[in-house]
Amino acid sequence: MKVAVIQFPGSNCEHETLVAARSAGLEGEIFRWNRPAEELCDFDGYMIPGGFSYQDRLRAGAIASKEPVMETLKEEAGEGKPVLGICNGFQILVESGMLPGLDGVDAALAQNVMVTKGEIVRRGFYCAWTTLRHDAVAGRCSGSYLIEKGSLIDMPMAHAEGNLVTADENLIEKLNEENQVVFRYCDTGGETGNEFPVNVNGSVENIAGICNPEGNVLGMMPHPERSSFAWQLPFVDPAARRQIDTPGPGRLIFESMRRYIEVSR
Amino acid sequence: MKINLRIRLKIPDAEAATVKNTLVRRMGYGKVLTGLERERLFVLEVDDAVEDPMDLARRLARELVNENKESYLASAEGLDFERGSVPVKVGLHIEDGEAETVLDRLRNRLGFSMVKKVERSVIWKLKLDSDDPEKLAREIAEALLINPHKDFYEILR
Repeated sequence: MKVAVIQFPGSNCEHETLVAARSAGLEGEIFRWNRPAEELCDFDGYMIPGGFSYQDRLRAGAIASKEPVMETLKEEAGEGKPVLGICNGFQILVESGMLPGLDGVDAALAQNVMVTKGEIVRRGFYCAWTTLRHDAVAGRCSGSYLIEKGSLIDMPMAHAEGNLVTADENLIEKLNEENQVVFRYCDTGGETGNEFPVNVNGSVENIAGICNPEGNVLGMMPHPERSSFAWQLPFVDPAARRQIDTPGPGRLIFESMRRYIEVSR
Repeated sequence: MKINLRIRLKIPDAEAATVKNTLVRRMGYGKVLTGLERERLFVLEVDDAVEDPMDLARRLARELVNENKESYLASAEGLDFERGSVPVKVGLHIEDGEAETVLDRLRNRLGFSMVKKVERSVIWKLKLDSDDPEKLAREIAEALLINPHKDFYEILR
C-alpha cells in the first residue's frame, strides 16, 4: 500500500505527513507537483499536506488547484482511491471542487473570525490544540474509517483561513443529510458550542472536516500528523514522551486510510 | 465623499506573475492574455465637510502605503483607468475583517475621525486580445480570480 504525499511549492508539512503515514504501516513517497501527472496512477492513496502552496497567492489553494496533477488526482479519486487533504490540502481540495464534491466549487475557506459572547475577539491566524468530534459513522469516510461516531480526538490546528463558508443556503443541510460532515470542533466533553475558543475559527456549525459524497476524499483543517505520536502531545506523561513509537490520536487518520485501502482493493 | 487610493508595487509583483502564469500555462489563455497587472484599492468614505480631500488622501496614504515598495494614485469620487486593459475589481462579499481593522485603526488610533467607512479590494488589469474583452474578463474572473462563496467581482468600465 503506497501513498503519494503531493508537494506543491510552499507545502511545508510533507515530511511529517509521510512519517505519520509510515508509522501507520503505509509505504509512501513525496510526489513533487511537476512530475508527470500520470505517475500518480501508481499509488493507492494520496495526501495533500499543509503549508502555503504558492505562498497563498490569489487565495489559499487557488493556484495549486489548477495544476495538472490535480486533474489526475480527480480521476484517481473517481476510481475510489482515498485522498486526504490537511489544512492547505483541504483548501486546495475545496478550490478544485473535489470537496464537498457536489457541483463545482461549492464552498470557500475564508479568514478565521473568532466570536465570543457575540463579539468578534480576534481574526486571522490562530494556532491551538483542538478537540474534534467525529460525526460520521465508522466506515463512512476513508480518512476516519476506523473511528466510531462520537469519538473525540485531539490534534492541533494552525491556519488563518479555515472558516467554511458557502453562498449556497442549502449546502450545510445537504452535508448533514448525506453524513459528509466528518469532524466538528468541540470542547473536551464533546459539546459543539459555536463560540471561540470551542469553535476556533468561526466555521459554520463548527465544521472542521468534510468528505465527498462517496466518502473517499476527506479534507480537514487540523493536523493529524502533528498528533500522530504520543510525544507530540503537550499533555502527555513525561515518561511516555520517551517512548518514541507510542501512537497519538492523529494516527487513527492514517490507520484509517490504510484500512480503507485494504478493504477497497 | 469618497477617496480612492490605488496602490501598486514598484517592485516585481510575484502574485500577479503567478496568476498570469496560471492563466497562460494551466488554463489556456496564452493566446489572448497579453498582460496582467494588480493594484490594491482602498475606497475611503469620509465626512463631506472635508475641505481638501487630496490633502487628506496624502495623509491617509502615509498610513496605508509603504512608499519604499509601493506607489499610489489618489482620487476623489470616481475611478478612472487607463485604456488598453479591462479592470476587474475583486472584493469580499462576506465581512472584510481587514477593512474593519483598518477603519478602527484610522479612527481610533491615528486620529482620522473623518473616515466613516473603508472598502478594500484588488483590481486586476487584464490586457486581452479579443473582440469582446469584457466577456473574456468575466470568464477569467469566474474561472480563477474569485471564489463566489466569498468574493464578488465587478468590471470597472
